[in-house]
Amino acid sequence: MVQITINKQQIDVPEGTTVLRAAEMAGINIPHLCDHKELTPYGGCRLCIVEVQGIRVPMASCTLPVSNGLVVETETEALKKSRQFVLSMLFSERNHFCPFCQVSGGDCELQNAAYHEEMTHWPIQPGWSDFPVDTSHPYFVLDNNRCILCRRCVRACAEMAGNFTLSVAERGAKSMIVADTDIPLGESTCIKCGSCVQVCPTGALIDRTSAYQSHDKNLQEIKSVCVGCSVGCSIKIMVRDNRIVRIEGNWDGAVNHGAMCEHGRYHESNENRVRITTPLMKKNGKLEPVSWDEALSAVQEKMTKEGVAALASTRLSAETLAAFKDLFESKLHSKLVTSIEEGVPTAAVAKFAETHEGFEGKLDALKTADTVLCVGANVNRSHMVAGFLFKRNLNAGVNLINIDPDETSLDEVARVALKPKAGSDHLLILALQAVIAKEELERKSLNIKDADARIKKAIAETGISEADLTKAARMLAHAISPMIVFGKGVTAQRDEKLIEALYQLAVQVGAVDGERSNILSLKGEANSQSAALMGLDQPFNPNGEKVTYLAVGDDYVSKKLVEKTSKAEYLVVQASYESKLTEQADVVLPVSIWAEQEGHYINLDGRMRKTEKAVNAPENVRDNLDVLTELAKRMKLTLDADWKKSIRERKSSVALN
Amino acid sequence: MTKPKISSDWMCGCAGCHMSLLDMDERILKIVELADLRATPITDLKEPDASGVDVGVLEGGINNTANEEVAHKMRERSKILVALGDCAVFGGVPALRNFCGVEAALRRAYVEAESNEEGSQIPNDPELATMTQTRAVHEVVSVDYNVPGCPPDPDVIFYVLSELAQGRKPELKDELLHWH
Repeated sequence: MVQITINKQQIDVPEGTTVLRAAEMAGINIPHLCDHKELTPYGGCRLCIVEVQGIRVPMASCTLPVSNGLVVETETEALKKSRQFVLSMLFSERNHFCPFCQVSGGDCELQNAAYHEEMTHWPIQPGWSDFPVDTSHPYFVLDNNRCILCRRCVRACAEMAGNFTLSVAERGAKSMIVADTDIPLGESTCIKCGSCVQVCPTGALIDRTSAYQSHDKNLQEIKSVCVGCSVGCSIKIMVRDNRIVRIEGNWDGAVNHGAMCEHGRYHESNENRVRITTPLMKKNGKLEPVSWDEALSAVQEKMTKEGVAALASTRLSAETLAAFKDLFESKLHSKLVTSIEEGVPTAAVAKFAETHEGFEGKLDALKTADTVLCVGANVNRSHMVAGFLFKRNLNAGVNLINIDPDETSLDEVARVALKPKAGSDHLLILALQAVIAKEELERKSLNIKDADARIKKAIAETGISEADLTKAARMLAHAISPMIVFGKGVTAQRDEKLIEALYQLAVQVGAVDGERSNILSLKGEANSQSAALMGLDQPFNPNGEKVTYLAVGDDYVSKKLVEKTSKAEYLVVQASYESKLTEQADVVLPVSIWAEQEGHYINLDGRMRKTEKAVNAPENVRDNLDVLTELAKRMKLTLDADWKKSIRERKSSVALN
Repeated sequence: MTKPKISSDWMCGCAGCHMSLLDMDERILKIVELADLRATPITDLKEPDASGVDVGVLEGGINNTANEEVAHKMRERSKILVALGDCAVFGGVPALRNFCGVEAALRRAYVEAESNEEGSQIPNDPELATMTQTRAVHEVVSVDYNVPGCPPDPDVIFYVLSELAQGRKPELKDELLHWH
């Protein structure tokens, strides 16, 4: 710890802390614009200047590390004058006229800074140069006229999303934020995560949907967890008048620390599907609105002992999934009770976990990994924030090896991209082990006897050259902290032998040893892991059941599921949105969406988190769990499943915490 | 003791700041009690007294030669000059035309705009004032108090006028400081 004095207040802070952050810890706010707590200090705006005893000129506190005995003043008349000057220069650069700017009135850090320095006007008028406005992006607008060149967006793009799309073109006063090689944002390599918008201190980057809808002070902020996928990002749902205005990454939350992906930030709040707001029942071949009582009575009557084929979305809460399992499996003794993902992302892993409980590691290890092996895991398409954690380090020398039969955008940033022919990835993994063994690079020997044969077979059947194979194997074996991430490309094969091969590879290169276990599967939807732990992971193959009950909630429905249930004798669909599935249903029960309910979720590395209710559901729509409970009650059954117990029924592949 | 004299005028603005002044409702009686409200756009006198006033208030920016005259006259005849509202303080919305230039703005308004009749021209009567770049008041004459806001809140206007009328210096900060 280092002791420093700020505004006569003595505080102890860890070594390496900047004066700006140290002041914050002491509850002292030093005005700043370019600095952001989740980004590397940049020292560009000079607003955070402070007086340091013994130093002649004011120092930028955002880049000044603390040292023992440092004496700092943050609010003197001289500093105020200097800050007013810094702000005057900023205002003189571009179009910072407030009255028609969407962030004016509390949401603009530049304006707030001017208020803090009690500026009533600009001593220097602007130079009236016109800068480009880029409106090509589907989710936000880049107005360079409002930009103060703090480069927060550039840093967020690189340091949070690891995408390196934004940069600065030109020099001096003409400097401009551009995408890639100065092409329209909408046509650039932008992955639409919106991190840049979230960090922009002015109105230079504005969100299309939420612009002009409300000042932040009028928004209700509900801290919750994203249910877009199994990463489980911490989010803030910004609500006004029972409407989601915007979703933001929660800087102080676990997992993502503010970062979000396109899906979580934009898709979950911009819903285009048609909401179902009343129970529906098929009468004379047509779905007609009915009362809840009529709908539930009809369903209850049909749920005979002859068995129900039941399927639930893995976007539902653990509480709901446990009740679902309790009702259909324990109480109604159905043979076919599963989840919408049918165990595709989890079943093989769960099976392997029976002998290797808790073999998977933690997501955070990706932040410090020096070599990442992705196998059938396209983190540019799903589970994007997991990808951010290592992609942001790729420019700093982190190696990415990508194994995927398909061409993906991840190949572009990979040092080695291996494309095994479909179905041959097992051979490839075994061959990687063989090369590492043969070259005596093993951290732990796997006692491989047939190395040459494995390599030969892999070269013949995977379509991968010996050079690429060797390069990948060496890269992985030489890593100091390697990490293996695998996704649906692997788990969809339901082959636990393949999981075992990956695990052994991890052991062989030291990714898994006594201290760490740097191997992780991406899983699927938000509650994939809960469903897996409850055993809701068998393939959905109806076999003459009289009733089919699909609790899909607000999930998307696959064509396959629609086909599989098209011949169902009696189809009950518990859903939030209209779909091909609800069209063919006999009864449709309208239920709440993710933001209208609360419940627990287990993310891909075993974190148990609770989502919060942010908005109220429409009048005649019920909670997913309540519908199941009510149905059971009508059948004189009491649902008594405890989700916390239900998830302990099987051994978990990840440690739960 | 005679009451301090207050006079106001408007230039390149929208009259919104004077509307906001009226929006202080019954408190305007308090202002009248404290000060002698002389020439303003809302009273009958049309020019600040030649003998001078204590406080002159200007709304709007300066975007032609006529406004320049108004500003200079108000400055010459006022002990204290107040720039009221974002246009007077910064140039405001009319200053946006500075980004394209006077010519382009006039052409757009009088010739190109969809509502113009065929063959419309930019007015060029020699009696008309000459258009200039839009400027904040402090770019043309010295200003003693800048009161930003679009418009400034009635509370802010009341505070500024009542302080000045009572010989005190208004301090705009915290809740009273808004640029909008």
